[in-house]
Amino acid sequence: MSTQKRTKHIDLSRMRKAFAVKPLTLGIASVLLSACADDRQQAQIYTSVDDCNNDYPDARDQCQAAYQQAVEEAARTSPKFSTVNDCEHEFGTNQCRQVTNESGSFFMPFMAGYMVSQLLSPRSYYSQPLFTSYSPYSSFRSRWVSADGHVFNGDIRKRNYKVSPSQFKPKPTVTRTMSRGGFGSSVRAKSSWGSSSRSSGWGG
Amino acid sequence: MLRRQLAPRPDWQQQAAQYGFHFHTMYGEPYWDESVYYQFSLAQIENDIENPSAELHEMCLAVVDAVVNSEQLLTKFQIPRPFWELVRDAWQSGAPSLYSRLDLVYDGNGPAKLLENNADTPTSLYETGFWQWLWLEQQVDRQQLPRASDQFNSLQEKLVYRFADIAQWYGINQMHFACCKDTDEDRGTVQYLQDCAIAAGLSADFVFIEDIGLADTGVFTDLADAPITDCFKLYPWEFMLRESYATELAQAQVNWLEPLWKSIISNKALLPQLWKMFPNHPNLLPAYFADEAPSSLDGKWVKKPLFSREGANISLIENNQTSTLSDGPYGEEGFILQAFHPLPRFERNYTLIGSWLVDNLPAGISVREDTSLITQDLSRYVPHIIL
Repeated sequence: MSTQKRTKHIDLSRMRKAFAVKPLTLGIASVLLSACADDRQQAQIYTSVDDCNNDYPDARDQCQAAYQQAVEEAARTSPKFSTVNDCEHEFGTNQCRQVTNESGSFFMPFMAGYMVSQLLSPRSYYSQPLFTSYSPYSSFRSRWVSADGHVFNGDIRKRNYKVSPSQFKPKPTVTRTMSRGGFGSSVRAKSSWGSSSRSSGWGG
Repeated sequence: MLRRQLAPRPDWQQQAAQYGFHFHTMYGEPYWDESVYYQFSLAQIENDIENPSAELHEMCLAVVDAVVNSEQLLTKFQIPRPFWELVRDAWQSGAPSLYSRLDLVYDGNGPAKLLENNADTPTSLYETGFWQWLWLEQQVDRQQLPRASDQFNSLQEKLVYRFADIAQWYGINQMHFACCKDTDEDRGTVQYLQDCAIAAGLSADFVFIEDIGLADTGVFTDLADAPITDCFKLYPWEFMLRESYATELAQAQVNWLEPLWKSIISNKALLPQLWKMFPNHPNLLPAYFADEAPSSLDGKWVKKPLFSREGANISLIENNQTSTLSDGPYGEEGFILQAFHPLPRFERNYTLIGSWLVDNLPAGISVREDTSLITQDLSRYVPHIIL
């Protein structure tokens, strides 16, 4: 039937919620990365905060914040494996750590470096975690690879790249959060009106 | 358009647990009901629902264009004056929209009539895009439905493509997703959108609306103090524009989904404005702003507040006599009148069609039934097929 009016295919394994975290498939660059852009920006890779401080002695706070952001990003987006063997096969012996959270227990590689760009820009810089592999079985061996599987050209000695801003939009800087709770008050007000059996939920 | 019986899949509740569909029963009442389904012909779907939905959406966009350029209309639509510029900017910069749901009255014959447009925070998305799709696939596999059965439901496919488009538009690889606390239904809807965004290559962080913070640099933050730069919010604009962080919206520069211009067409002022701009259109019901209605109205009319939800604060006017059908907290913002057009009745149920669009593309339908004619307070979701 060529004129099917419903979604052709849904990957059911991806829709399941009750199972343990599955390994992500590395090596599939996202649709964003395939786009070629001419407006690329200079980006540097650092393997430590000190490494960054050497380049930017007057921007130690930014180096630290960019590192922290990459660490948090890594916790969230790095490739995850259900067994240590799978992880070490891809990243090398002793290159993986075990993490346990509400979705279960799994293994992820250590962050090997972080890429920053526009560190001195007043409004925004960006930072992302990078990984590398010591495994002879992996196509990432001695290469920089991002959490979503983008493999950078050259080996890990290469530290300067031009990257498309669309690869990651610069994030504005946050030093600290001053207040919370400035949205959501209408929900409490309207919910206190109690005659409806559906008192919560603001979708229509 | 037929209502048919079919035995539920014996294991559907276990599957619901596996797939994270936690709101199939709400407030002690069944919400998902697969003991019945509706059957449409392809002609009914394409001629009476799909094509009119695309056209209605275009008409709604024409209303947005008229309203952002008119102070009188912005006032009429109760958009607070401090945000007029932001609404106009969102529209003129082409800020992309994700999705909307047109609620249609349709009985299988003749033109479907637009009841309202849930353009800002529509729900019943997961059960439409995924869950009823799964029901059809499995009932066909089990030979309970003919092999030729189809469904008007390309919602998930289109959402994934749309997220990829939006990521390209804004040059992003990450978004936040937000809804209010204490509602499984909203959280489930947002989780589904996160799944679609992830399938499009984005990373998708979650924050509750009530937990959004304001940083020293003027940006909004999540609970990890990460800046929120691009955010889907299942929370109505008419609330956000009246809460304490509203004054921070301009500086925070978030790319919101839905964009701020959706505040114009999720508003029931849309209905009289459509009738003014496209009078006697076959898919519209006559509608007036309450303060502009003819002094004597023949027949039955429904009076609704501009911002009502869940059927609150609705009255019926018949021969100029008003009777209250439902109470609620809305109404201070003004009312509209819409010609009463009863929902079709199938056995003891009144049936409402939700017609989904992803951006401007019709993407499927949801069917809901209720034993009450107007308030749709405890409606049940039932699947459909095309045959």
